Amino acid sequence: MRILIVEDTARLSALLAEALAKHGFASDCAPTLAAADEAIAVASYDAIVLDLGLPDGDGLHWLDRRRSAPLPPVLALTARGTLAERVAGLDAGVDDYLTKPFAADEVAARLRALLRRPGPRAAPILAAGPISLDVAARRATVDGAALEISRRELDLLEVLLRRAGSVVSKDAIETALYSFDAEVTPNAVEAIVSRLRKHLDEAGVTGALHTIRGVGYLLEDRS
Amino acid sequence: MRSGSLGARLAVGLGLVAVLGALALLGMVALEYVVGSDPPLTAAQLAHEVADHVVAPLIILLGLVAIAGAMVIRTGLRPLSEAAIDVDRAAQTAPRGFRIDQDALPSEAQPFAAAINRLLGRLDATAEAQEAFAADAAHELKTPLTILSLELEKFPGEMATALRDDVAALSRLVDQLLLLARLDAQTAAETPRETIDPKIIATDLAGALAPIALKAGRHLAFEDAGATAFSGHWEAVTAALRNLVENALRITPEAGTVTIIAGPGARLRVRDEGPGLSPQRLAELSKRGMRADHASPSGAGLGLAIVARIMMAHGGALRVDESCRELVLDFEGIRL
Repeated sequence: MRILIVEDTARLSALLAEALAKHGFASDCAPTLAAADEAIAVASYDAIVLDLGLPDGDGLHWLDRRRSAPLPPVLALTARGTLAERVAGLDAGVDDYLTKPFAADEVAARLRALLRRPGPRAAPILAAGPISLDVAARRATVDGAALEISRRELDLLEVLLRRAGSVVSKDAIETALYSFDAEVTPNAVEAIVSRLRKHLDEAGVTGALHTIRGVGYLLEDRS
Repeated sequence: MRSGSLGARLAVGLGLVAVLGALALLGMVALEYVVGSDPPLTAAQLAHEVADHVVAPLIILLGLVAIAGAMVIRTGLRPLSEAAIDVDRAAQTAPRGFRIDQDALPSEAQPFAAAINRLLGRLDATAEAQEAFAADAAHELKTPLTILSLELEKFPGEMATALRDDVAALSRLVDQLLLLARLDAQTAAETPRETIDPKIIATDLAGALAPIALKAGRHLAFEDAGATAFSGHWEAVTAALRNLVENALRITPEAGTVTIIAGPGARLRVRDEGPGLSPQRLAELSKRGMRADHASPSGAGLGLAIVARIMMAHGGALRVDESCRELVLDFEGIRL
């Protein structure tokens, strides 16, 4: 996995690159937007870590300008993740936000999550810790051992895996699992979740699937 | 005399004009009687003639003048008092960028309106400058804090963990202080309010904080108790709720649950499993720590004071419900 870090503080980008290397990411650093343009022209990146305040311009304007050519997923680094800033960022094409100060583990987890998202560059195999799922072949494994689960449970696992480490709302799960006109009984999602949880527990990933009562579900990223 | 009521001064002036006019008329009539009559009138006759033909009509005339004068004064000054009511109402509800409509005022009052508008412009500019400062300061302070925290990650051991916690606390304190700066700017010149659905704010925040809570071994849950929307500042309300939830996660024992409840009505409630908080203690915590040197290093002391401040700015209240260990953000009574 190759990452481009666009950050003007040389020490910060060096530290980040060093820490990400431990998580298996190779990073290039660009101190300015102009340097980022040059880097993207000669190399192919799987994701970009972008500081929004750079000496030669605003990171969001830069994203807007580059919109014509497809960019890899963008993780924005910001000093204060205010709502207005987030909304502007999502409009400009930012895929995720991280507020300073952050831990290197968190950056790595967010990058992994971005690379799991569907899209032309999405990995054909989704993984979070010991769990992995071959999207095309519809096969899930835990530590290499096949996980025998139903089609619906597999669909649920895919939704949760794509956003491992964050909460997926119950509505989002219902939308992903059922077509619009399908009759969804109120407890249908709960039932599938509890069956999947049982399978994961039996396979040795105990307590990884959490219920956030009233909000949704979260699958831990134990990478 | 530079101050006092314009109406009173006009009344005194009009009265003086009427009295002088009446006296002049009286004098001239008396003179005509004295000069024009043959044989000359006695003093008693003169007094009788004047009283009969001049004083009585004058009293009626003065009475009418007084009534008309009062009406003229009242209607003449009405645009001013009406404008004052409008401006006062607008000053309480109008967002940043509000200016008095000068054309709606009488020409004599327009210079005052222009001066007030210039003052309002300066207030808006100060508020904007303060917000820009908060944003710049955030960027300038957070980058070195990030470097510090990433450097510390390279060292193993308890000492490094403790130092990393300190950096996290420091960065929280920076956030709180910057939030205060932005609240001050809001108080000076408010930006327009938005419609806020307590359910959305609560579930968004629960979703954002759940991974952090799980890492710390606590659960986070949401309940809807019949919430209704109100008008406010999304960012500030989220910050207030976030402060309460983070406090609740800190004081709730491991494996315990913090529950965010939306409603009933325009309320957001946070229930914890901590030792509970008395209304007296809440009042103390809400008051102290408005200055950073009173706050605990974790920023916890500043937190409730900020929440109280946000609630006050919204016209709501921060309350404690001791019976069920809940802190309540009460927005009831705020119009949509």
